[in-house]
Parts: sequence; C-alpha cells; structure tokens
Amino acid sequence: MLPCDDGFMKPDKLIDPVTRDLWQVIAATDEVPVGAVETTLLLDAPIALTRDEQGQPVVWLRTVEEAGDEIDADEIVERLPVLVRYGYIWTSLGKPPTDIFPIPEYAEPDRKNMSCGSIGVNVSAPRAVENFLDMGHFPYVHTDILGAEPHTEVKEYDVEVSEERDEVLATRCRFFQPRAALSATEGIEVEYVYRVPHPFCSVLYKSCPEDESRRDVIAIFLQPMTQDRCRAHLLQSMVDSVSTITELRRFQQTIFGQDKPILENQMPRRLPLDPRAETPIRADTSAIAYRRWLSRKGIAYGVIPQAG
Amino acid sequence: MTLSIDDARWHPIASSDDLPFRHVFHGQLLGRELAVWRADDGNVNIWENRCLHRGVRLSIGINEGGELKCQYHGWRYANRSAGCTYIPAHPADAPARRIQNRTYPVREAFGLVWSAPSENAAFPDLPRAEDRAWLPLRPMPVNAAPEDVAAGLAKALDAEGPHGLTVRAGDAVYFVQPVDSGRSVIRGLVSDPTTDTIPLLREKNRTLAKLRDRLERSAARKPAPAPLQPTYEKVSAELATMPDIAVPHGGTMIVVVKRKWQTARGVTGFELADRSGSHLPTFQPGAHIDVHLPTGLVRQYSITNGPGELLSYVIGVKREEVSKGGSHALADTVREGDLLTISEPRNNFPLRRDATRTLLVAAGIGITPILSMARFLDKSDLPYELHYFVRDADTAAFRDRLDVLRGKVTVHDALARDAIRQTIGEALGRWSFAQHVYICGPGSMLEMVRALAAGLDWPDEAVHFEYFKNDRVIDDSSSFEVELARSAMTLQVPAGKTILEVMREAGVTVLSSCEQGACGTCMTTVIEGEVDHQDVYLNESEKRANKAIMTCVSRAKSARLVLDI
Amino acid sequence: MTIKLYDFELSGNCYKLRLLMSILKVPYEVVPVDFYPGREHRADWFLELNPFGQLPVLQDGEETLSDSGAILVYLARKYDRSGRWFPDDPATMAEILRWHAVGDDLTSTVSAARLVLGMFYDFDLEKAQKGAHRIFRIMDEHLWFGEKDGRDWLCRPAHPTTADIACFPYVMLSEEADVSRQDYPALRRWTDRVRRIPGFTVMSGIFPAGPAREAQAAS
Repeated sequence: MLPCDDGFMKPDKLIDPVTRDLWQVIAATDEVPVGAVETTLLLDAPIALTRDEQGQPVVWLRTVEEAGDEIDADEIVERLPVLVRYGYIWTSLGKPPTDIFPIPEYAEPDRKNMSCGSIGVNVSAPRAVENFLDMGHFPYVHTDILGAEPHTEVKEYDVEVSEERDEVLATRCRFFQPRAALSATEGIEVEYVYRVPHPFCSVLYKSCPEDESRRDVIAIFLQPMTQDRCRAHLLQSMVDSVSTITELRRFQQTIFGQDKPILENQMPRRLPLDPRAETPIRADTSAIAYRRWLSRKGIAYGVIPQAG
Repeated sequence: MTLSIDDARWHPIASSDDLPFRHVFHGQLLGRELAVWRADDGNVNIWENRCLHRGVRLSIGINEGGELKCQYHGWRYANRSAGCTYIPAHPADAPARRIQNRTYPVREAFGLVWSAPSENAAFPDLPRAEDRAWLPLRPMPVNAAPEDVAAGLAKALDAEGPHGLTVRAGDAVYFVQPVDSGRSVIRGLVSDPTTDTIPLLREKNRTLAKLRDRLERSAARKPAPAPLQPTYEKVSAELATMPDIAVPHGGTMIVVVKRKWQTARGVTGFELADRSGSHLPTFQPGAHIDVHLPTGLVRQYSITNGPGELLSYVIGVKREEVSKGGSHALADTVREGDLLTISEPRNNFPLRRDATRTLLVAAGIGITPILSMARFLDKSDLPYELHYFVRDADTAAFRDRLDVLRGKVTVHDALARDAIRQTIGEALGRWSFAQHVYICGPGSMLEMVRALAAGLDWPDEAVHFEYFKNDRVIDDSSSFEVELARSAMTLQVPAGKTILEVMREAGVTVLSSCEQGACGTCMTTVIEGEVDHQDVYLNESEKRANKAIMTCVSRAKSARLVLDI
Repeated sequence: MTIKLYDFELSGNCYKLRLLMSILKVPYEVVPVDFYPGREHRADWFLELNPFGQLPVLQDGEETLSDSGAILVYLARKYDRSGRWFPDDPATMAEILRWHAVGDDLTSTVSAARLVLGMFYDFDLEKAQKGAHRIFRIMDEHLWFGEKDGRDWLCRPAHPTTADIACFPYVMLSEEADVSRQDYPALRRWTDRVRRIPGFTVMSGIFPAGPAREAQAAS
C-alpha cells in the first residue's frame, strides 16, 4: 500500500545525504537586485540571498529575527556555498562538488540565453522532472503547440544511464508537432534529446527550425522547497535571430503554464519509486530509467522510496 | 462515534442532479477522492480519482459518454468496468486488459448518489421511502467534523438523535456525508414537497447555511483533526512492467443468452450477459470472444458493442451453408435463457484512434468488428467512413445500429465484383499521412482491398485486417526438443509432427479445439527457448514477448523449448 | 486598423479579452508584455499607456483602453452585433456590472493567492484564499438556484454575458491559488457551460471541456 497523502512521512524533514550535498538552484542572478535581500525556501530550510556591491551572490540560512532589508551582505559570516551557472545562483546545504553538470551550448556567442521566470508549483521536484521528460502528453496538454490529436504516437526511443557522466540520457525521441518552436510555422516531426544530469534538473535539445545543424536548448532546474513543493526555473538557450526575448519567454511560459495544472493534480505529489505504484508503458522508458536512477542514488527527498 | 476510514456504511456522495450530461463530478468520502460521472446510458460511475498511469485526478478528465478520457495522456477508461481501452501513445496496440481503475459501489436513490467502501453493507432504510416523492436540498458543505455536524444538526432542528450520521426532523431526513475527518456535506431530503419547490429549497438552504456558519465557528476553536490517510492499492506485478507483454490468461466465464433475434436474413444476433447482471470484462473495438459450443467446438465472434457497453456483448452469427458445425450449433440449437461458456475478450484487430481519416470496409458478417469500431469513432467525434457490402439488402445485419451513426455510412447491395473494386478504390484514394483502413470480410475481399491499397501507395501498416481462420501454410519442417517442466518429461518433436501430437502420444492430456492456431485453446506458457510462432491467435507484441505458444501449429526456433506443462 | 492587445499569457485578466474576442471572432494582434520576470508593466513606455501599470491594455484605432471589465463592455458594445453579451436593458446592465465587480474581487483574492504561490508576491495568502472561498460559496449558491430556475448563466438573460467572461478565468485558475473547487459543484458545472460556448479558447492553466449535447445532436 502507498500513502495517498503526502503528509504521511511528516514530520520527517530529514534530507538524505545525496540531496544535501547537491548544488541546488535558488534564483536567476539578474532577478536579485544588488543590495536587496530575497528570501526563499530550500529543502525546508528558510534561506536568504542578496548580491554584494560587486554583484556577487551571498546566501545564508535565515534565522527568524532577521528582518530582511536592513541586512548588509558584508556582515554575513555563516555563508552557504555559492556557484553562478547558466544565469542562475546555486547553493548547497552540504558539501557540494566543485562544479555542476556542463551545458556547453550556453557559452556559444550567438545564442539568446534567458531565464523565463521562476514559478512555484505544488508538486515535488522529481514529478516535475518526469513531466519534462514526457512526450505522450503533448497533444493533450500542449494542444496545437507541441502536439495535437490525432498525432499521439510516441515512437520507440533509446535510453541509457551514462555511468561516466552519471546522467540519464534519452535519444532519438521523435514527436509530430504542429508548432514546435516560436519560429516554426508548420507541423514537423521534431527530434529531441533529453538529459537528466542532476536529480532535480533536466536539459532538452530539440531540432532548431532556423539552423538544421544546431539544436535549441531548454532546461528546467527545480528548486525543491519542500518534499511536495518546488520552484521551477526555466532556461532557454536559443538559436533564433528573429524573436525577441519577451516573445521567447512568453512561449516557454505558455508551455509551462499548461503543465502546471497537471502537475498540481498529480497524487501523490511525491514521486513513487515503487514500480508497482503506477502503470508504465513503453513511452515511459525514460521515466522508468529516471526512477531507477533516483532509487540507486539513494535520493529520498521529494520521492516515496521503495519499501524494503 | 469516531470516524473511521474503514466505515463500511453507505453514504450519499452527490445529488443525482450533480451529474448532468458529459460532466465529471469531484467527490470525496472518508478521505478518498472520487471521480463521479454518468455515462450516456445513465449508469453512474464512482472511481478512485486517480489515473493509474501517472496519478492525475480523473475529475479533470473528459466524459466522452461511454469512456472517461484522462486529461494528461488521453487514456480512455470504460464505463462500468473502469478498464483501460486505449493508450494514445501506442495507438496500434491493444492495451493489456487488466489496467483497471479502482471502482466503488454505486446506488442511486431518492435523488441522491450513494457509495460505500464495499457492497457488503446493507443499504440504509428510509421508512416508507418508496411510496413518497423526495426532493433533495442544496448540498451544504461544512468545514467541521461529521460527528459534530450531525450532533449540531439534531440540536438545531430539535430532533432526536443523531442516528449515526443521520438526522430525521419532521418531513425531512438529513445525511451527513463524511468527506474527511474535518469536512462534511449535509445532504437533506424533504418528502412530499409542494408544487412550488423553490421557496422551500431557499428556506431550507438559509437554515442550513446559518447552521454551517455556527458549526464552522465552533470547529475553528478546536484543533483541526488530522485528515484521514487512505492508501492507494498497488497495481499488479504484471502492470508494473510493460503491459504489452501481458499474455492472455485463457480465462472463461459463463454467460446467459439474454436475447436471440434475426438481425438480417441468415444472420442471428445474440446478446450475452452475466447471469447475475454484473458487467462483463472490458473490451476494445475489434475484440472478439471465443464461444464454446455445445458440440465441444470453439468459435470466435467479434463484439459489436460501442464504448462502455458492458452489460452484455452482442455478436452476430451467420448461418454458413458449409460449416464444421459452429454456426449451425449456435443458430439452431441455442435458445434465449441458455448458458454458454465464453472466453474473456481478446483483440487481434486493434483500432487506432490517431487517424486523420479511418476507412472501414465490411463485407457480409465482417460487419461485426467494423460496427464496434464505427461506434467508438462516432462517440469520440473522430472522422470515419464505413462501406458495408452485402449480397442483398435484406442480408445487411444490425441496420438499426448502423442507422444511428452520424458518420458517412453506406450499405452497398448486390454490387458486381468490378463495381465493388471501383467503390473501394474510390473510397481509399491515394494514401496520405495518418490514414488507416480496416477490412473484415471473406479472404477474397481482404486480398482485393490489400491489392488496391498497395496500388494507391497505402503502406502495409496502414492496412488492417483480421484472420479468424489460419490460412497460412504451416511450416513443420523443423525438429527440436521439448521439455515439459511440470510433467518432468523430455520429448523429441520430429519434422511433420506438431508439439501437441507428440505430447498426446506421450500420454499428456492437453486441451485443443481448432488445431489450426486460431482459437487459443492449446495455449501454453513458455519458460525457455525461442518460439517459431505460426498461429493467428497471438498478436504481434504478444508474439514478440515469447511467453506463450500455440502447441497445435507453432514450433521452436531454438533447439530446445521448455514449457510449463 | 487591427486591434492591439498588450498581453501577458498567464494573466487571467488579459485572457478575458482574448476569450471574448475569440467568441466574437474579432481579429487582433498581441503585443507581449514581459510582466514576469521582466516587470515590463512598470516600464516607462507601458506607464504611458496605462499609468496604473496594469494589464491588459487594448488599442483600437484612436482608443487606448485599460481595465479588463471596461474593455469587455467596449468590445461587446462595439463588436457584438447580436447585442446579447451586454444588452441594453438597464436592470440587466446593472446586474452584469455587479458581476464585473465580483470579477475584480476574484482578482484581489484568487489572483493574489496565485501570485503568492506561483510568482512569490508578498500578499497575505491566507486572507486571499479565505476571500476566494467566500466568493465561491456565494457563486455556487447563486448558480445552483439558477439551475433550478432554468438559468444557466450568472445574469438573467438566456445567453451568456460579459459577466460570465469577467468571472470565469479566476474561477478556473483557483487551483493555482490552492483554492479547490470541490465544494462548489454548481460552480464547476457552470465552468463546463462556459467552456462549451462556441468560439471558446483556452489559456495556459485552463483545459477545454468535452463537447456539449448540442454539438452531439447537430453534427
């Protein structure tokens, strides 16, 4: 039997060591004004962040007394580790590795790189990752944009767990799409590659309508706020000489705004790792690999671990 | 009285009026969320509010009349059984039949919809209930514990009780629906209402709203009770892997012939139902059942039903002039009220619902699976065209069912072969993306359509047909070893002999029927070795799974096979 | 000249105008405004259009209009030849504008709670959610007795009005504000009816309903 309610494990706020030592995304760098203090929640811990006069992020565990605005970043002694990657601020509650996973495309000079907003979702981070990997919902959730009935088939694709890079990789993913990107005008079969290089992050590569030799990159970085609530940070790195940043952001927000009501209607909110909790089909091969990978790594946050 | 998740009693969970045409009601009882919907046939479904695939609430899905469609991936679940009938991500496959949502018991009485955790509890007695008219009041949700609501209700109405969660006051009865430990809905009934009911409803609503406000104020002063903790049942081990390797179980059941009638000259309709009136297992369009005939033979008949029609299966039987005794036995000797053994439905002729155009071609008795397909497409507003070829107009079966379809349905009678060829050719047209054709009829018809389609650039995977007879030439040239695991026996199968024959010679008792790889009676589980499938019973994915063999025709590709006998 | 809508996809107030223009088949052009995260509604160029710094803004020829409820009336009066979306009768007009005000109350409750949970605005979440439930209770009762009286919509005409459009988006988006509609069955049925209005269009967060009986019978 599985608990229906996500409160089942409370007040268990224990964080497994793997999750604790990960780098976790907390904000888009540009959206934290220099001098102002922002507060947020990471792994149930209230944290505060600001940028010092040099623009460098400062992150610390927030205590109740600290009001916010009057804090001078220089006076913060007990700082959490900080990393700035892909336009976002990352921190960790444990001992993180020296760097996070690579997205080499981000450094290409002609790309339009942008954050697309940080959006709160009442669902666990792993559920949001799994939805990001899923193509079967395109016709029903992203109707007339990423898919449309009756073109509903998810063709066979390849999934591997790369030992060397410790990530889940799905390749040869193809789906018929009426309007795959902002610059697309007619229906095409789009090819995707999905990476899951971090338990709460995923990166997708999709054929670029403007340049056949290159691929657009869209990434989702999930900030696990609690076991069953997260904040989705969306990154786009596009080869698109025509659209404005505002237009590109609007496209991505439209897509994520469509996923949100689905995610918030999933029960339980945490991702069940017991293979008998839900009913997978062949189209879910990447989701199955992701769940097993989380199980093997010993991730216990935002999931319902397999008993025994 | 303490509220328990194991409370086995019946409780009202909705008003009948809460379930209008094509709506899905979001309910809850004892902490368990419910998706409640009325099918077009009037049947009320109460299901666990959770799609078995990814846990999405079914209450945000779409009521398609005979099936409920999940909003996330478009999975369809059948009225009554809650069995999955279609998985759009794999449109060419028939889903494993056992993907089935959890359902709860349903009663509709006195204008209310009732449910209970199981059928075992006695349905509550309303004194003189049947000879009165009952008017359901506007339901009143209250954020307070059900037992407190019932007590407060009795006190406010100066009534005796409460009796459990029921309060009787004058001409009215109030039931407190235990939504959760701290949430309730008051569902009231007034008997013998006057003709002008709206002022009465308003007055009662005002009284209940005042009571609600009082109860909520006092509930807010107490600590909130912990919500109930219902659990989700695990899916079967079989479903936890990939459902396309589900091997048919060969289960049979006994049904009663509810109706037998002449649906056309030479075609008899049979309506087969469960003896106790329960619904029958989920089927998909194109599915058939095996009917075990009084003569001991087993014959396959397609189900003609539309979506969610599970109270009976309707099949059509043609009286063949030349027959091994199948159709004669059914058409002549089986009468209404007789019992028959049938198999669970199987589908070797699955219908894709992802076509931009579906062309359905039937000839003669081949209308049976095609009719079911048309009815599914019709209900979902998918585009299709049906051509039904008959020798004479009076041999066209199931006309009443065809006439109510809204798609383009044409019955062609007495066409010469050339005219048939021309009609089909025009209907096919040159192939374009996502067009599919389904043909059911005599072998000569299949060959004609296949040849025409090929000439018009239709790829093989867009042309669908089903064999009820195994017309293939069986290649029995291989020789191999068979180990019977449970019988602890190893046998040599030489060229020219079937596994079945060799087993029988060795004294092993094995059931069989058609002995041409069409009926599934001799199906045996494979433990080891690679099967050389030569039957037409298993579908392609089942064959790929290599988990079952028809011992009457199929052989081994490997040197050795280990069977579970 | 084409109508220009200064628009943010995830805004329920902007969606009210997209919805009515879709139903009335009025062509328009979208000017996307980066409300989040770009906060472009506070940019000088936008404040020139609407000093209140609120979306949506609609430009039609010489007219630059703001406030979704006001623009709904403008669109209905100007482009609805049937006259049914905002009829002439004084009592009906008053009734419709009364529900426009409820639409605004939904903005300050449902929409506020949604902005706290989705975009981390600093509003009083609990107060906003309580306010939303209070409105939903009243709407559910109004609609339940409406059904008993043979009235399908918020106002008295037999046809939907701009009142239904003004209230619909933030009712449908309430789950994003963690305000469940489970206790409001009549309100849920009304959202089915709105979603079956010919010409209905969706926004992110709102799914279409299945076909209605009329469509079934007609086709």
